[in-house]
Amino acid sequence: MNGNDPRGKDGTGEGSSPDDDLSARLKRLEMQIDRKRPPAASDPSSRPDRGQPSSLGIAMRLSTEFVAGVLAGGLLGWGCDHLLGTKPWGLIVLLVMGFAAGIYNVMRVSGFFPAADTKKGPPGS
Amino acid sequence: MAVKMDPIHQFELKPLVSFGHIGHQHIAFTQSALYMFLAVGLIALLTIWATKSRAVVPGRAQSLAEIFYEFIGQTVHQSAGHGSERFVPLVFSLFMFVLLLNLFGMIPYAFAVTSHIIVTFMLALVVILTVVIYGFMAHGTHFLGLFVPPGVPGWLKPLIVVIEVVSFISRPISLSVRLFANMLAGHIALKIFAGFVPALLAAGVWGILSPLPLALSVAVTALEMLVAVLQAYVFATLTSIYLSDALHPGH
Repeated sequence: MNGNDPRGKDGTGEGSSPDDDLSARLKRLEMQIDRKRPPAASDPSSRPDRGQPSSLGIAMRLSTEFVAGVLAGGLLGWGCDHLLGTKPWGLIVLLVMGFAAGIYNVMRVSGFFPAADTKKGPPGS
Repeated sequence: MAVKMDPIHQFELKPLVSFGHIGHQHIAFTQSALYMFLAVGLIALLTIWATKSRAVVPGRAQSLAEIFYEFIGQTVHQSAGHGSERFVPLVFSLFMFVLLLNLFGMIPYAFAVTSHIIVTFMLALVVILTVVIYGFMAHGTHFLGLFVPPGVPGWLKPLIVVIEVVSFISRPISLSVRLFANMLAGHIALKIFAGFVPALLAAGVWGILSPLPLALSVAVTALEMLVAVLQAYVFATLTSIYLSDALHPGH
């Protein structure tokens, strides 16, 4: 679960030690900088332009999320039918699932699940 | 007289060097590929040449490169959290590539590479494959816990897992469609508004109205500049959010 898993990304022996070292050094530097910095300017996420994306941006973001969900479901269903010969049930079932996934995406992006997804929901599009 | 207006024409691929055919597919070095090479060349120039001196007090070019890199480093750190430093180069490359291609598209007569969905989809595929491969390498089968959200009653689990899987597969689609649709729509709108100017001028007395679409196309150009930068930033942010799933599945 920790991000400093010893297995590196490419497994070429560029292992954990430089990575851990870098993490530790960055953290130390961050702490030192934070101590010297005036507290008001320290949090970039509190800048006014970050918190409120334009409504067009939100609309664009939400609609692509929804459409992408339906498209993914439809593609999966079509592929399923094509490969397994389950025509037309794969398409029907997975299209409905895609619809659900689209709604789920939209709910997640619009911050419907506040506790589970504090990191989701970037500042609009 | 009607002025010829063809807003789609600008997206046509023009082969510069032809390599013949594979099957029925024409293989050629197109202007799209040329723009990609130009973008990569410019990024390399910025990052390699500008930082060559490695001055402690950076010069102009070096501080430009550092600003970009630190901006992306900060974005990745905010979205993906602990242990995400190893992905900064990837996100930085993607961001700069998309940003430069978007901005190249804003140059008059230039070609907007990111308005082709195959380009943006391949970029999104790079991201999602990185997430999947790294997720399995770092966490093994534990990575699949990503698809089982906590606190779901048992009888609902199979349904939720299928929906989560479809939702995961929809990610590269939404990532690529967003960038592609923004660029495509913006360039078409720009072309159409600008096309109204000669059309009105050619329509005799209606010519007095032609400053209106001219002003509008100037405004749309400014908006498109904003969109070009913002979409590159959104691409980078979403990439780092998806990477955070690979780093910390089941949070």
